[in-house]
Amino acid sequence: MNVRMKYRGWAAAALAAVLAAASACTSSSPKPDPNPSPTPNETARPGVLRILAGSELQDLTPILDEARKATGVTVQFAWTGTLDGADAVSSGRADGKYDAVWFPSNQYLRLDPTGKSKVLSETPVMVSPVAVGVRSSVLNDLGWGDGSKVTWAQIGDAAAAGKLSYGMSDPSRSNSGFSTLVAVAAAFSGAGAALTEEDVQKATPQLKQFFTGQKLTSGSSGWLAQAYTRAEPGKVGALVNYESVLLSLNKTLPPEQRLTVVRPQDGVVSADYPLSLLSSAAQSERDSFQKLTSYLLKPEVQQRISEVTLRRPVTAGTAPAAGLPADRRRELPFPGTRAVADGLLASYQNELRRPSRTVYVLDTSGSMEGSRLTSLKAALSRLTGTDDTRGVRRFRDREEVTLISFASSVKWAKTHAVPASGGQPGPQAELASINADVQSLSASGGTALYDSLEEAYRVIERQQKAASDDRFTSIVLMTDGESNEGATDGDFKRFHDGLPAAEKSIPVFPIKFGEAAVGQLQGVADISGGKLFDGGGSLDGVFEEIRGYQ
Amino acid sequence: MRRALGVLAALVLLGGVTYALIPDDGTDPKKPVTVTGLIGSEKRAFFESPEVKAELAKQGLEVHTDSTGSWTMSEQARNSSGLDFAFPASTAPAREIQRNWGQQDSPLVPFYSPLVVVAHAPVAQILKDNKLAAQDAGSGVWTFKMDEYVNDLKANRKWQDLTKTEGHGELSGPIFVTTTDPESSSSGALYIALLSFVLNNDLVVSDDAGVDAARPVLHQATALQGGQKSSSDEPFRDFLAGVGNPLIFGYESQVAAMAVQGQPTGDMVVMYPDTTAYSDHTIIARTENGRKLAGLLQNDEALRALEVRFGFRPQASSGAFADRVKAIRQPVFAQDLNAAQVKQSPVPSLDNLLKLTAAAKGSPK
Repeated sequence: MNVRMKYRGWAAAALAAVLAAASACTSSSPKPDPNPSPTPNETARPGVLRILAGSELQDLTPILDEARKATGVTVQFAWTGTLDGADAVSSGRADGKYDAVWFPSNQYLRLDPTGKSKVLSETPVMVSPVAVGVRSSVLNDLGWGDGSKVTWAQIGDAAAAGKLSYGMSDPSRSNSGFSTLVAVAAAFSGAGAALTEEDVQKATPQLKQFFTGQKLTSGSSGWLAQAYTRAEPGKVGALVNYESVLLSLNKTLPPEQRLTVVRPQDGVVSADYPLSLLSSAAQSERDSFQKLTSYLLKPEVQQRISEVTLRRPVTAGTAPAAGLPADRRRELPFPGTRAVADGLLASYQNELRRPSRTVYVLDTSGSMEGSRLTSLKAALSRLTGTDDTRGVRRFRDREEVTLISFASSVKWAKTHAVPASGGQPGPQAELASINADVQSLSASGGTALYDSLEEAYRVIERQQKAASDDRFTSIVLMTDGESNEGATDGDFKRFHDGLPAAEKSIPVFPIKFGEAAVGQLQGVADISGGKLFDGGGSLDGVFEEIRGYQ
Repeated sequence: MRRALGVLAALVLLGGVTYALIPDDGTDPKKPVTVTGLIGSEKRAFFESPEVKAELAKQGLEVHTDSTGSWTMSEQARNSSGLDFAFPASTAPAREIQRNWGQQDSPLVPFYSPLVVVAHAPVAQILKDNKLAAQDAGSGVWTFKMDEYVNDLKANRKWQDLTKTEGHGELSGPIFVTTTDPESSSSGALYIALLSFVLNNDLVVSDDAGVDAARPVLHQATALQGGQKSSSDEPFRDFLAGVGNPLIFGYESQVAAMAVQGQPTGDMVVMYPDTTAYSDHTIIARTENGRKLAGLLQNDEALRALEVRFGFRPQASSGAFADRVKAIRQPVFAQDLNAAQVKQSPVPSLDNLLKLTAAAKGSPK
């Protein structure tokens, strides 16, 4: 199980009421993870609507509190990503467990006939287009004026010329990333109609150029915003996200970091947040659903939603909140089939994006013996499987993966470069080879956590020097205990302070497992600008989730 | 296609659709009878309104509804016990539901609404300047030129090819009308029916040759849209939010309800395709209580007035709609569709409509 807030009612959610993006800016304090896995095993209760939802809906907390008072319907949320959520619906895992789903968009869900048949009724509640938030200094340097006339082609050119670097969340996990990918593929291919495989092919050179500018990736928009605010001045000049997220983020940013929202002139992809009743819901929950949707569509509630969330209202005559521009944009066409959508995601991961350099620092001390080691091997092994249609898990083509096995000292470090598809040998042989290394892990010895982590930085330094390349670089640190040998946390802090800037900005994603010392791991996450994950009882979910950050 | 529907239906069944039917003990006259049914999303506001609920309660009915796309409805209806009625937005899914429920009689059509193209005023003006639309000088009613539109679809004409589009950033790419998914929703299916009628020289497609002849344009008109939404509410809400395609296909009632109720409609223009399909809101009653509801919707004077209030044209009192909309100038509605020279395209047989829909979606023959 992953960390993650359990299924919570609104009272608890109110704690996290700050916008996901905004709350992310207080990077030093631990906070609830906005991406909990759906864990509830509750039965339906009258007056309660159990909703599987996108985590950005946390910003609706005050409105849903008011809805509860007005309608008597209490909303309980479990959070998930849009694409994972679509899987949960299609597979039937949502049946009986949730009464409704509420994602930024149902477009991906609807491309699957089974998923489509599981949704009985859907009503868009609010709208926000995906946009590019550009720092004003960068906007000036690029001569883009107030940003109102910028096209995707200009953004792509600026990225290719090294003049625009941006952060964007992982399209295989987040709807904002996916929508961006669809928008740029449609814009660059000139596709008038639903995207096809040929369109994606045609747009590939321009897409590659566009993605050279992507300097930050993330599995969640909260962490993306956090990474943006941490980045050294000038390193990241823009963020791609929903217009509403960018505008909300601006409220918390210092002036020099504030973003001008650019909705490219040649078209956008918008999220319309359809509140969707599952056909498995019972009658009393259906009635609650009707009450809630009617309430949310009242003009005065629409007005309030727009003011609180900075999304656009969906009722005529309700004015959007101040600051939302009124001029319209073309809506770029979404793929019409799952095959094209998944193919686009796989291309992004394996071909279009900058490749990654990924280092795993794995605790194989004596306490890992038995089921823990089995669990670790199984979780890593899943990342070497090829049954992954939209590139959500597996080590990607062109990715460089290093496994470091440590206990009292580093036992071994092995590096694998997964080749691109199409050549000989293809990626499969290398993936099998990674799996062979995973299966060779064996447990014995103490826990020299910081020594081994420092070794990971040295490995990366050597690799960067040898290849002089430009990759998404990150470290995963998995341990089931406390560091009891070698360097201390103080030593590591000094080590980190002494690193060159490029290495200092490498995020470390610690995974807490077994009796791991949370304080030590949170410290590592904070110092490096990473994020702590909870391995809980099984490691499968957490290793997969971290793929969104690598 | 039928087989596909069957598969979907089976999946819905696995999903375990259940309806709680509150039993009517028939003893307490103050306690209304609960009637449960499925409706298209375009009728949701009607059934949810306090006035409609009050009027029905006066007649002893408390109506519970779930809204869903009309084709989805026929799958749901097949597998749900405890439904008193189903109320799709057109005759074809109604026939399918009747078939599932083993019914033969002619169901009631309490009200209807023509399908229209909705646009913002500047876009309508551009269409007019480019002969794709016209506005009657006397009545002010807008019409949308279907023959021209079909020619533009065939030629893959783009907004950039039209004159006077300067300053409209949203007007780029091919010209097309956005609809709902014809496999799940009536309005999408009626659009396919309408296009096929126009493509077949204003004759109903009645054989496979007709389906094949219509196939390329139907497919083009659908592929242009990319992913489609499943009920008529969604593209309309996107339109109101200022996103989505500049031209959307929907029910006259969606706009008329807003206008009649005095809600702001912005600069919305209702264009009647010069040949258009009607949505015949057809109620299939399965129980005595369902039949009672159907009868009331057809014949109850107060309910008919409320139907007009929600933008529908009651079958049994043709002047009621005209009387309510004649004073409304923004947007202008056609008081009499014949007088506005709006021709009605009949809907093909269920089998042919399913074939046309499959052709539009690009399914192999």
